[in-house]
Amino acid sequence: MNNKKISKNSGVFEPLLFSMKYLGRKRSTIYLIIVAAIITTATRLYVPVVIGSIVNSIQERNFSVLSYFVELILILAVVSAIATFIVNFGAQYASQHYAYNLRKKVVNSLTKKDVSFFHGSTSGDLLSRTTMDIDATRNFLMNTLSQLIPTIMMIIFGFVYMLYLNYVFALFFISTIPFLIYIGMVFQRKQRMHWRQIRELYGEMNERLQEDIAGQRTVRTYSLENSQIGRFQDVTGSYYGEYMDVAYLRGFYNNIMPFIISVAATGVIIYGGYESVITGVEVGNLVAAVNIFNLITFPVSFLGRLIVFSENARAGIGRINTILSTDHDEDLVSTGTFPDSNGIQFHDVSVIKGNREILKNVNMNIEPGSFVCITGETGTGKSTLVNLITVLEKCTSGYVSVGGVDVRNIPLETLRKNVAIVPQEINILSGTIADNIRFGRSGIGDEMVIRAAKIARIDDFVSGLPGKYETLIGERGITLSGGQKQRLAIARAVVTEPSILILDDVTSSVDPETELKIFKEIGKNIENITVVLVSLRYSAMKYSEERYILKDSTIMELDEIESMNLFSSGEGQ
Amino acid sequence: MKDDYEKEEEKFINTLGATASLKRLIKDVAKERKSFATVVIAVVTTATALAFYPLAIGYAVNSMANRDMYGVIFYGLVFLLLYLIQMIANRFRVIHTTKISQLAVKGLRDRSFTSIHSVPISFFTVVKSGFLISRITNDAETIGDFLTFQIPQVISGFSAVILSIVIMLYLDPTLTLYALIILPVLSIFTLSLQGKVRENYLKTRKTIAAITGNLAENINSIRSIKAFNVETYVNSKFDSLNTENLDANIRASRLSSAYGAVIRVLEFIGISIVIYEGVIELQIGLITIGTLVSFIFYVQEFFDPVTQLSQLYNAYQSSIVGAGRIYGIIDSPKEIIPEGSVPVDTFETALELRNVTFSYGEDTALNDVNLTISNKEKVGIVGHTGAGKTTLSNLMLKLYLPEKGEILLDTNDTRNILTSRYRDIIIPVLQEPFLFRGTLYENIRIAKKDASNEEIEKLALEFGLERIFSRLPDGLNTDAGELGRNLSEGQKQAIAILRAIIRAPQVLIMDEPTSNIDPFSEKDIFASLEKFSENRTLILITHRFSMISLVDRIVVVDQGKIIENGDFETLMKKKGMFYSMYNIVNANDNWSV
Ligand SMILES: Nc1ncnc2c1ncn2[C@@H]1O[C@H](COP(=O)(O)OP(=O)(O)O)[C@@H](O)[C@H]1O
Ligand SMILES: Nc1ncnc2c1ncn2[C@@H]1O[C@H](COP(=O)(O)OP(=O)(O)O)[C@@H](O)[C@H]1O
Ligand SMILES: [Mg+2]
Ligand SMILES: [Mg+2]
Repeated sequence: MNNKKISKNSGVFEPLLFSMKYLGRKRSTIYLIIVAAIITTATRLYVPVVIGSIVNSIQERNFSVLSYFVELILILAVVSAIATFIVNFGAQYASQHYAYNLRKKVVNSLTKKDVSFFHGSTSGDLLSRTTMDIDATRNFLMNTLSQLIPTIMMIIFGFVYMLYLNYVFALFFISTIPFLIYIGMVFQRKQRMHWRQIRELYGEMNERLQEDIAGQRTVRTYSLENSQIGRFQDVTGSYYGEYMDVAYLRGFYNNIMPFIISVAATGVIIYGGYESVITGVEVGNLVAAVNIFNLITFPVSFLGRLIVFSENARAGIGRINTILSTDHDEDLVSTGTFPDSNGIQFHDVSVIKGNREILKNVNMNIEPGSFVCITGETGTGKSTLVNLITVLEKCTSGYVSVGGVDVRNIPLETLRKNVAIVPQEINILSGTIADNIRFGRSGIGDEMVIRAAKIARIDDFVSGLPGKYETLIGERGITLSGGQKQRLAIARAVVTEPSILILDDVTSSVDPETELKIFKEIGKNIENITVVLVSLRYSAMKYSEERYILKDSTIMELDEIESMNLFSSGEGQ
Repeated sequence: MKDDYEKEEEKFINTLGATASLKRLIKDVAKERKSFATVVIAVVTTATALAFYPLAIGYAVNSMANRDMYGVIFYGLVFLLLYLIQMIANRFRVIHTTKISQLAVKGLRDRSFTSIHSVPISFFTVVKSGFLISRITNDAETIGDFLTFQIPQVISGFSAVILSIVIMLYLDPTLTLYALIILPVLSIFTLSLQGKVRENYLKTRKTIAAITGNLAENINSIRSIKAFNVETYVNSKFDSLNTENLDANIRASRLSSAYGAVIRVLEFIGISIVIYEGVIELQIGLITIGTLVSFIFYVQEFFDPVTQLSQLYNAYQSSIVGAGRIYGIIDSPKEIIPEGSVPVDTFETALELRNVTFSYGEDTALNDVNLTISNKEKVGIVGHTGAGKTTLSNLMLKLYLPEKGEILLDTNDTRNILTSRYRDIIIPVLQEPFLFRGTLYENIRIAKKDASNEEIEKLALEFGLERIFSRLPDGLNTDAGELGRNLSEGQKQAIAILRAIIRAPQVLIMDEPTSNIDPFSEKDIFASLEKFSENRTLILITHRFSMISLVDRIVVVDQGKIIENGDFETLMKKKGMFYSMYNIVNANDNWSV
C-alpha cells in the first residue's frame, strides 16, 4: 500500500527515495557530494567567465592581466578536479554501499520466507530480482549523484553567471528550462511501458532458456527442437521490437533537448552580436555565455539517459519490494528448547490448499524411537503431512507436537536441527561430496561425514571415485544417478544424528536390497531415533514397526495383514 | 577449483579470440547494409557538424569585432543550422544503430539457442546451464549496450576530433601544435592506467558473477536450506561474496574517479596553453580574436571523446569476451549427421547393441554390452543404482553415441539414421520426469500436437491415472509451475507416462516410470500398459518387481555389464543377483505371521 503511494507521488524520484532507506550510515556522503558538486560546477563554469574576461582584455588590448587570468584558470582547475573526484568517487561509494546493503537485506529476507512464497515464483524470476533489479536501482542512484546533481548545479550556476554577464542572456537561458522539463516528462511517460516490457521479456528469455536446458532430454527425445526455437525467437523478436520503439522515442526526444539549448545560444549570439555591433561593447561576455551553453549541452542530453535509468529502476523497485515485504515470513519464536521425548503427535490436523481439503482432522501418535511408514496414493498429501512436522508447511487447523510440545512453540532453528527431513526434491550444491553432506553446518568432522555416508550406503561408491570425498559434484562436477543422489541426501540428513528423521520417499530410486540395508544402518547407528518414512514399497512397509495409510484426507493405521493385502494383487506373476 | 571449471568450459566451447570475434561481430552488424550505410553517413554528418560549430562561433565573434551585423546573423544561423543538422543526423543514427545492433544481438541469441539443440548431449555435462544462460542473456546484453550506446558516440566523437584538427591546421598550424601538445600527455596517461583499470574491472566482473552464481544456487535449493536450517550459513557465505564485490568496486571507482580528476586538470592546462600562445600570436597579428575563440572551443571538445574512450575500453573488453563466448556456443561441434542419413520409417526386426562401451568421463559406465531386442519383445532391465541402466537407455535413445561398438536398428547403424525419424520410432519415459511451465494438458500435448483435451482425459482414465489428477486443484488444467513444482513427484511421473503413451511409439523405453507412484495406481497402469504394449516393443527399467511380469525377458545390469539375461524362471533358478534382489522384495512367504 505504502509503496504504491510513493510511486504515484514521487514519479521519477521514487528510486531515489527508495535508495535512501538502504544507504544506512553512508547517507552523509550525499551531503558531501552535493557540496562538492556545487564547488565543481561553480569552478568549472567560472572558467568560461574568465575566458570571457580574457577576450574582453584582448579587445581592450590590455595584455598585462593575462598571466593573472591564466593562473586563475589553473587554480580553478585544481579545485575543480578535487571536487570532481569527490563527486565521482562519492557517487560510486554511496551507490555500491547501497547495493551491498540492499543485496544483503534481500538475501536475508529471502531466507526468512516460508516455502509457500517460492511456489508462486520461478527461480529465474527471483534471481533477476536479486541481481538485475538491484543493479538497475544502483545504476540510477549512481547516475543521480554523479550526473543529475551536477547537472542541476550547472543549470543554477549557469543562470547565476549569466545574470552577472548580461541579464538578457540569463533570460534566454532560463526560458529553455520549462521546455527541457516538459520534454523530459513526456519522454519519461512515453518510455515507461516499453522499459517495463523489456524487463519482463528479459526475464522471460531467462526462464525459457533455463527451462529448455533443464528439459533438453525431453525436448530432444520428443523432437521439440523447432517449436522451442520458435518460441524463443518470438521472445527475442518482441524484445527487439520494444528496443526499436524506444529508439524512435530516443531519436526524437534525446536530440530535441540539446537543440533547444542551441536555439537559446543562437539567440545569445545574435542578440549579443547586435548589442556589440551597436554599442561597441566587448564580445567577451558573449563568448562566455555561448561557452556556458556549450558546456551544458552534453549533461542536459544525458538527462534523457537518466530518465531511462529511472524507468528501469522504478520497474525494478516494485519487484524488489515483494521480496522485502514481510509477507510470507516464517514466524519465529526465539526461546524454547527441544523436548526430551522424540515422539510425534498430530492433533486434529487439517490442511486446506486451494479449495481442496488435503488433510482432515488427522490424529496420529508416533511413539518415541519407533520406525513408522506412511503410505498412500500419489497426491493424497503424504509430503504435506510430513512437512508439517518441521513447519515447512502449516496446519490450517489443529497442530503437530513433538514430545507434547506444539512445534510452533519450538524455535525453528532448534526444531530443524533436531528433526532432519530429506525432501522429495533433492538439491545438490556445487562443491565436493563432503561439502554436500555437511551442507553448511559447522562442527562436522571427516569421520562423521564418512560414517553418515556408510549409513546411507554411498561410501562404497564415493571411495571408488578418484577424488573420494573431495570429488566435485553438482553444477560443476560429475552427475550422480537418481539413486546416488537420494543416498547422498540421506547421508546429509543423518550426519547430525538427529533425534527424528523424516524420509519422504527418498529411496524410490534405490534398489530395495540397498534400501533395507540403509534402514538397518540408521537404527543401528543412531540410538533412539524416530524414523518417519514415506514409502510406496511393500518391502519398506514390512520393515517398519507401524504402518499408516493416507486415504480420503484421513490417516488409518494398518496391521500387517492389511498392508500385505494392499500390495498383493499388484504382485501378480 | 571453480576457476578450473570455468576454464574447462571456455576451452570446451572454444572461445574465439578478440580479433576473430571483433571481425565476426562487425560482419554481423554490417549485414543490415542499408541501415549500416545510414549509420555511417549519420556519424560522418554529426562529426562534421560538431567540427564546424566552433568555427562558426569564431567567425561570428570576428564579425562582431568588425561590427558586421550581417555576418553576426549569418554565422549565428549557421551555428543553429549545424545543430539542426546534428539533430536530424542523430535521429537517424540512434534509430539505425539500435536496429543493427539489436538485430545483431537477436541473431546471436537465436543462433546460440538453436545451436544448443544440435550439440551432443554430453555438451551439457561440461557446459552448465548457468554458464549458457548468462552468456545468452547477460553477455549478449552487454554487447547490445556496447553497440547501441557506446560505440556510435565514441566514433562520432573521434571523427569530430580528427576533422577539428584538420580545420585547426587550416586556421593556424602553429597554434594547432600548441593545442595538441596536451593530446599525447592525455593519451599516455590514459594508456598507462589501462592495465590497472582492466585488472580492477575484471575483479568486479568476477565478484559479481560469484554473487549471481551463489544466489542462483541458494534460490534453487531453498527447500533444502529450510529443511536443514542452514539459513545463517547461507547468509554469511553470501555476505563474504558481497563484501568482496563491494571492495572490488570501491577500488575500481577510486582509480577511475582519480583519472577523471586528472583529466579535468589536463583540460584546463590545455586551455591555458592555447590562451597563452594565442595571445602572443594575436599581439603580433597572426590570428584574429575569432580564431582564438574557436581554438578554445576546439580544445574543450577534445576531452569528451578521450574520456569516453577510456570507459569504452572496458565495455569493449567485456563485449568482445562475451562475443567470443557466444560465437563459441554457436560454433560448438554439432552432432554429426552423416551424409545420406537413412530416413527409416519403421522398425521391423530387432534393435541390437553390439559390443557397446561407453563412459561419461574416466570411469566406464557401460562395458562391452551385447543385447538384442526383437520387435514386439518386452524386456525388463534391473540392477542396483548406478549400475548403468539409465545409461543403457540413453544410448538406445541416441542421446549419447557409443564409444566403441554400435547400435543397430534393423541392421542400420543408428549413427546413420536420421535422428528425427529415429525418435519417431522410439520414445522414452525418462527417469526424471520433466515438465514445462503451462497446464498439464499442454504438457501432454507436446507429444501430440493435435490431441484434444477429451482424448487426453480418456487416456488418463484408461490408464487409471485420472484419480491421481483429480487431486489437483484444477485437474489436468492445473499449471505445472517451474519444473513441475506444483505437482507431487508421482503426479509428474504420471504426466510423463501419458505423454509417451499418447505418442503411441513402436518402441517404448520406460526408466523407473512408477518409482513415485503408489502401488494401487500402478496396478491400473500395469494392466493398461500390458494391453498397450501388445503390438509394441517395451523396454522397462524398474525396481518394482510387481512390474516384472509385464516382460518376457529380464536383463540384469551390474557395474556396466550385463550379468544375467533370461526369462523369470531361468533367472530364479539361477539363484544369481536377480534371485537375491527379487527375494528381498517379494518375501511374501515369511510375511504372514
Ligand atoms: N498450491 C496448491 N494448491 C492446491 N493444491 C496443491 C497445491 N500444492 C500442492 N497441491 C496438491 O496437494 C496434494 C498433496 O501433495 P503432496 O503432499 O505432495 O502429495 P504426495 O506426497 O502424497 O504425493 C497434491 O494433489 C497436490 O497437487
Ligand atoms: N551425465 C553423467 N556424467 C557423468 N557420470 C554420469 C552421468 N550420468 C550417470 N553417470 C554415472 O554413470 C554411472 C551409471 O549411472 P546410471 O546409468 O544413471 O545408473 P542407473 O543404473 O542407476 O540408472 C553412475 O556411476 C553415475 O554416477
Ligand atoms: Mg510426496
Ligand atoms: Mg537410473
